[in-house]
Amino acid sequence: MRIINGLWVFYRKLVIPSAALSVCLGLMMGTGMKVIGMAGFSYIFITPFFHLMIYDLTNPKEYYFYYNLGLSKLMLWFATVVTSIIIGLILMAI
Amino acid sequence: MSGLHVDSVTKNFGLRQVLTDIFISCTKGEIIGLLGRNGSGKSTLLKIIFGSLNADNKFVKVNDKHLKGLYSNIDIIHYLPQDSFLPKHIKVEDIIKVFCKKQQAINLLELELVRPHLRKRSAELSGGEQRVIEVLIMIYSEAEYLLFDEPFNGLGPLHIEIIKDLIKAHSERKGFIITDHDYRNVLDISTGIILMHDGGTKVIKDKNDLVRWGYLPSSSLSNT
Repeated sequence: MRIINGLWVFYRKLVIPSAALSVCLGLMMGTGMKVIGMAGFSYIFITPFFHLMIYDLTNPKEYYFYYNLGLSKLMLWFATVVTSIIIGLILMAI
Repeated sequence: MSGLHVDSVTKNFGLRQVLTDIFISCTKGEIIGLLGRNGSGKSTLLKIIFGSLNADNKFVKVNDKHLKGLYSNIDIIHYLPQDSFLPKHIKVEDIIKVFCKKQQAINLLELELVRPHLRKRSAELSGGEQRVIEVLIMIYSEAEYLLFDEPFNGLGPLHIEIIKDLIKAHSERKGFIITDHDYRNVLDISTGIILMHDGGTKVIKDKNDLVRWGYLPSSSLSNT
């Protein structure tokens, strides 16, 4: 359970900036219902970008919090990519 | 054999061999002070034991379990890095609840040292306050062995004494390996001292040994 909580704590830092930028890009690229689909498509690529910016480049020391929960960098990257793909695909299917 | 055993660790950075002849063991109830000059490889060794840094070769065992990486360390070894590592976007209360198991979290949330900060995010705390929280979540965690890299960094004298007392009190159930540039604090609480010298570890019996291996100036003996 602590691993799941740890993953959520890690991921939630990425949600707001990724969602905000994805919506902006969706509005720029689509109209009507296509906005949501384009936002979902953008979200798949933008979240890993924010992962890189927020954790690897700006706060690399924070990784130690997650390492102590047994989460390696590889596992955190995997979680980011997979979760973002799932959320992105759901939005694209709407 | 019970306890934490570290052996055969080698690590090169380019052509420079940083660690070459390492042996450390620590059992529950022990506080091992790890001393060494700047650049002697103390932090590198702790990261290798923890599993966050790859070694060229290593053997780390706790009781009968051979530890190969971070995932196998869960609730066995925790590592306190030199710099603050708390997530800045969540409240101290949530950090404690994620990091510690239920009963330990309840005990920690009731501590006088922690209570004023529960509703704050770690980014709102001073460096010293962050350090206190970091040390406490480690001490109150399930981990059997704690590797502390500069635990007293940024702490005032009062907090240093409180943390030293807590480490001593919790060492009944845990083993500690501690390194800190203020060697006096380490000597105060250690049950054994290891000196890192020329990439290897030397068992230190008394302060004379620290002078002999060039860690302390000879004048430090006359000051005691």
